[in-house]
Amino acid sequence: MILQVENLTKRFGEIVAVDGLSFEVDQGEIFGLLGPNGAGKTTTIRMVLDILPPDEGRITVLGQRPGDAQHRVGYLPEERGLYRNRKVLEMLAYLAELKGTDRDTAQRRANALLGQMGLEDRAESKVRDLSRGMQQRLQLIASVVHDPDLIFLDEPFQGLDPVNVERIKGFIADLAQEGKTVVLSTHQMNLVEALCDRILLINRGRSVLYGPLTEIKHQFAPHAVRVQSSAIPAGLPGVISVEQDNGAHILHLAEGVSPQSVLRTLVDSGAEIQMFEVSPVPLEDIFVQVVTGS
Amino acid sequence: MNWRKVWTIARTEYLTNVRRTGFIVMTAIIPVIGLIVLIFMAFLAPQASKVGEWLESQLEGGEKPIGIVDGSGLFTPILPEYQESFVLYESPEAAEADLRADKLRAVMVIGEDYLESGRVTALTRESFGEAVIADSTRVRGFMVVHLLDGRVEPSLQRRAAVPLARIESRVISGTGSERTGGFLFTFIIPYFLSLFLVMTIFASSGYLLQSVAEEKENRVVEIIISSVRPTELMAGKVIGLGALGLTQVLVWLLSAWGFGGGAISLLAMTGVAGLPIHIFVLGIVYYLLGYTLYAVLMAGVGALGTTMRESQQLAGIFSVVAVIPYMLASFVMMNPNATIARVFSFFPLTAPTMMMLRVPLGDVPWVDIVGSILVLLLSIPAALWLGAKLFQIGLLIYGKRPTLREVWQMLRARV
Repeated sequence: MILQVENLTKRFGEIVAVDGLSFEVDQGEIFGLLGPNGAGKTTTIRMVLDILPPDEGRITVLGQRPGDAQHRVGYLPEERGLYRNRKVLEMLAYLAELKGTDRDTAQRRANALLGQMGLEDRAESKVRDLSRGMQQRLQLIASVVHDPDLIFLDEPFQGLDPVNVERIKGFIADLAQEGKTVVLSTHQMNLVEALCDRILLINRGRSVLYGPLTEIKHQFAPHAVRVQSSAIPAGLPGVISVEQDNGAHILHLAEGVSPQSVLRTLVDSGAEIQMFEVSPVPLEDIFVQVVTGS
Repeated sequence: MNWRKVWTIARTEYLTNVRRTGFIVMTAIIPVIGLIVLIFMAFLAPQASKVGEWLESQLEGGEKPIGIVDGSGLFTPILPEYQESFVLYESPEAAEADLRADKLRAVMVIGEDYLESGRVTALTRESFGEAVIADSTRVRGFMVVHLLDGRVEPSLQRRAAVPLARIESRVISGTGSERTGGFLFTFIIPYFLSLFLVMTIFASSGYLLQSVAEEKENRVVEIIISSVRPTELMAGKVIGLGALGLTQVLVWLLSAWGFGGGAISLLAMTGVAGLPIHIFVLGIVYYLLGYTLYAVLMAGVGALGTTMRESQQLAGIFSVVAVIPYMLASFVMMNPNATIARVFSFFPLTAPTMMMLRVPLGDVPWVDIVGSILVLLLSIPAALWLGAKLFQIGLLIYGKRPTLREVWQMLRARV
């Protein structure tokens, strides 16, 4: 267990930002921390990083109290910020040193990461002279330059073009490959689906969905199949209703009827089937459904 | 407190700021001015006394004479050496007419009973003219010379008119060493030095404010405080930028010392040069205490602003308080131990400035020096607590400056 949060609560005056939140993050996984704006994600991350003290509850990071584990944790805040007037390498080394890395190691790692991110020829540039995409990559480097075991990435894809999104996706996947743990907070659900093993969805400071992504998707899958076919015979056994969807048909199934049996019936009926799939549900729909309560 | 991190922050702040053009210019300006003055004095020293005489004659009011209506007969006739600057009149009316016609600078009507009463009526065109007459060494000399004429020997008569014709100043300092200098070294140099020390306090706490506001404005602070505690960050900044200011002070003091010595030897004066050692030491003590006090308060208040400009406005409050002693400067210079000067020496926010102003001027009671240092030593922990707390609150508030009420609530709550 890399991170253990138990019954975490934080109030700001009258407002309860985080309300009895509990979750766990395992080593080597990419964990999605999701929720609408103002749900309490950033406050939760800040408490784990010991920037804010919790009012109630307990946090264990890498087996230690948050304040003692800071040097093994990396952070890419949603509110981006770098020293604009400093040189790239110098700044990275400074940030690593503040995490307790010695200066030689810090510079070596910074150089290696700059190379990995295609910024090797920018080491001596001033930060303000870098393009926005480069600064974003630099910010990501800054969060891992001290070789942390647990990394919090708050909206790492914000404002990036598709090429840079792919690059950063690859970088995050590599981190997990190396055995690092990543907690990813983003509103881009397609990226969560592509990267995350497990997710926690919070709303108004409370946990509303928590678990492996596949299980959650299964749990929310509608009991339906999507079929593209010349014709759908009427009165198929086990099908409650049929609706048109973009040139395909969605067949809602009765309880206890398996998609396989419907496929068999369809084939037997002699229909010409171009496509048959168990209707998937995008994470985005689950998100909206859970948050709006519809 | 992780001192390695504090050291890393202090070192980075020092190295980043020591390269700023503003800092280099500020630091170099004193030695450069000193050098210019030195060269100037080397060329002008032989002419200095003539320059002095010329200045005095200008101050004495130039060519227009003073009209005398002599009711006592003690000043009639006017002695030859004074005939250019004093003219006798028979009646006050005639003298007044010439005064109105702007032929005279002033009219003095000397009463019949002058010897007993000392009464003189002065007529002038400006309201301050009377003071000019009363304080004029020339008028005084005129009176003394005429009163004594023929009654004492001429050399005594001349000396009585100008009893302090040449003053050679020798100051015996507390350490036993002897110093020769005069006005320039007992007064002007220490005064400007103290002024610059105070400027350094504000320059370095200004850098601190800038550094805090900058990190907050560009949001780096979020990453920084996920690595170090706010108190460590503040300590690192205060130490690093304090060392920066100390560098400046040392360059200034040493150059003043050096140039002071150089100037004295150039002027072929005897004795040991320059600044008394206790001013040097006290300068550094007050710099360190004053800077620490102001720096932590500015760091805290500066962190409350959301932009550089806002932070500077907030911190402006302190600058206003700190310059109070300089608003009283002309008064304090005349009387360094006046009650009001002493009171401000015991108030923490004005103590460093006031004491730096007073110490070079002369005999400040030891109780004031010890007292003001104690007051500063005692208020620094309180300032540290308040500054650190405000700093911590301020760092995480973006977007909007908190109201006073919110700050008060947060000060009392656990943050």
